[in-house]
Amino acid sequence: AMTAGATTTFPMSNHTRERVTVAKLTLENFYSNLILQHEERETRQKKLEVAMEEEGLADEEKKLRRSQHARKETEFLRLKRTRLGLDDFESLKVIGRGAFGEVRLVQKKDTGHIYAMKILRKADMLEKEQVAHIRAERDILVEADGAWVVKMFYSFQDKRNLYLIMEFLPGGDMMTLLMKKDTLTEEETQFYISETVLAIDAIHQLGFIHRDVKPDNLLLDAKGHVKLSDFGLCTGLKKAHRTEFYRNLTHNPPSDFSFQNMNSKRKAETWKKNRRQLAYSTVGTPDYIAPEVFMQTGYNKLCDWWSLGVIMYEMLIGFPPFCSETPQETYRKVMSWKETLAFPPEVPVSEKAKDLILRFCTDSENRIGNGGVEEIKGHPFFEGVDWGHIRERPAAIPIEIRSIDDTSNFDDFPESDILQPVPNTTEPDYKSKDWVFLNYTYKRFEGLTQRGSIPTYMKAGKL
Amino acid sequence: SFLFGSRSSKTFKPKKNIPEGSHQYELLKHAEATLGSGNLRMAVMLPEGEDLNEWVAVNTVDFFNQINMLYGTITDFCTEESCPVMSAGPKYEYHWADGTNIKKPIKCSAPKYIDYLMTWVQDQLDDETLFPSKIGVPFPKNFMSVAKTILKRLFRVYAHIYHQHFDPVIQLQEEAHLNTSFKHFIFFVQEFNLIDRRELAPLQELIEKLTSKDR
Repeated sequence: AMTAGATTTFPMSNHTRERVTVAKLTLENFYSNLILQHEERETRQKKLEVAMEEEGLADEEKKLRRSQHARKETEFLRLKRTRLGLDDFESLKVIGRGAFGEVRLVQKKDTGHIYAMKILRKADMLEKEQVAHIRAERDILVEADGAWVVKMFYSFQDKRNLYLIMEFLPGGDMMTLLMKKDTLTEEETQFYISETVLAIDAIHQLGFIHRDVKPDNLLLDAKGHVKLSDFGLCTGLKKAHRTEFYRNLTHNPPSDFSFQNMNSKRKAETWKKNRRQLAYSTVGTPDYIAPEVFMQTGYNKLCDWWSLGVIMYEMLIGFPPFCSETPQETYRKVMSWKETLAFPPEVPVSEKAKDLILRFCTDSENRIGNGGVEEIKGHPFFEGVDWGHIRERPAAIPIEIRSIDDTSNFDDFPESDILQPVPNTTEPDYKSKDWVFLNYTYKRFEGLTQRGSIPTYMKAGKL
Repeated sequence: SFLFGSRSSKTFKPKKNIPEGSHQYELLKHAEATLGSGNLRMAVMLPEGEDLNEWVAVNTVDFFNQINMLYGTITDFCTEESCPVMSAGPKYEYHWADGTNIKKPIKCSAPKYIDYLMTWVQDQLDDETLFPSKIGVPFPKNFMSVAKTILKRLFRVYAHIYHQHFDPVIQLQEEAHLNTSFKHFIFFVQEFNLIDRRELAPLQELIEKLTSKDR
């Protein structure tokens, strides 16, 4: 058989087929990352040299810095070799719950570092579409480095769950902030929208479309600055994104017209009251999704600017423009935005703000941003914004934090049994359907090797 | 042992005067297929300021994982019946001895041999005194010699797959994956002189072919 060439075919078990898929995927991933990692390491070395040159260090000092840097790289290699598990983290508190799992505040036992641990139940996620989105999230997290995207440090899995260890942002999220406040001032809105423009632009520049920009995905760091998160996870792409979901529209007429007739104060109250439930349902909400995303004709990165327009409206008015009793009704309103997008006369909004919202929430061909991000930055609503330094300046609403693990900006969630150990199973590692999550082990240089403050040459990439 | 008189090759049994057969040709024909992985030669070099032990350790773990996965794809085909002895073509036969538990080399089937081998490697990798995982803990003095033994043994699994199971590899369309992994492995052991040349003999032609194209 050895010399027969490829003509002989061998009977193959499903078991083998799965192993082959795993092996191929893993190796393809490994080798596409290998060269990248090699280059990244060289870049870090170069950055160090440049930084030392700029600081005008003496040779002795340079030597010391080089050896410090080398030690850090060595530690990183060692960490790449060590396997992490749930045992390595202490769970402190549940800080979020979503359709596919939850988020906990955790502390790494050996270093004492605080992280947010996103726990995703595999059973809930194996649906094809979700899997695709996890991969997308992994990819973006791996690539995106910088101030505007939530960092992921490690990931690992066990039989039941997938674990993502991410940067903990003590400021909470925009959804919670909007639920606490009636509306934001124009100044506050300008700040958050400006930062989100830069965040969205950062991922666009990496070649990604977020597709699901909404207040739940805008997190606030310790100083109150925005970071973009959740590329299709916990609260991620749900049925709300799928056109089929709205097919049976005629069977689901709006049950109650009272919502339509409410004044904006009551509408905002009703919206806020139901908001969290909406965020945690597996269906999700189409409120922030651009109409072209639902259409077969295709969409591009401009869809993220529509979502930003919806968020801006919500900040200033107190509820999003298409909110309704049912997702079906919301969908209908989004699709007929030309008739349904209106400003309640009783809520005062400046002409500049109105104009920008209407420039975001319009046909994609005419949408602001079609001519590049500069077009957006140049809109009169952003007058006075210091685009180059906005992240370094004080945030519009300062965050009060007492400690690194302060969770006062998060709602309380009851404990769950998600981390209960699975009854001892002696199943083989190659469990059916497990492959998608294999090789889902990712470690990030910076957060792992940092002891105390981050050296200046590592901060260089930040805006 | 008549061919190479060294003590270290007790478990390695080359046979004289046996023609290579045409399967070598099959291997060479498919050596072209690799994953577009960029410059592997560069990637194996010791990075500036890096500790050699640390570098060898992390790469050894990677190769172990890759071989484990690759062999896992052909276990349906590597059985007691198909491979009653562990071999790499008709010329080379391996007998198992780990030097501690099994001192006298035993002749066994390939699946059994590979199971011994991989279990042994796993035990070495899990040994905190050999592969320390805590930051700051140094490697033992004999680390490099242990690593060399691990890599020497891992090579035999590649050799067995290439010689005895290359047809299913083609059928599974994973020849590019196998070639890339093996090429990376060879570049690595060549860079730091980790495996004796004669141990590599069973795949010498393939090695030449894989490594000649891009240096």
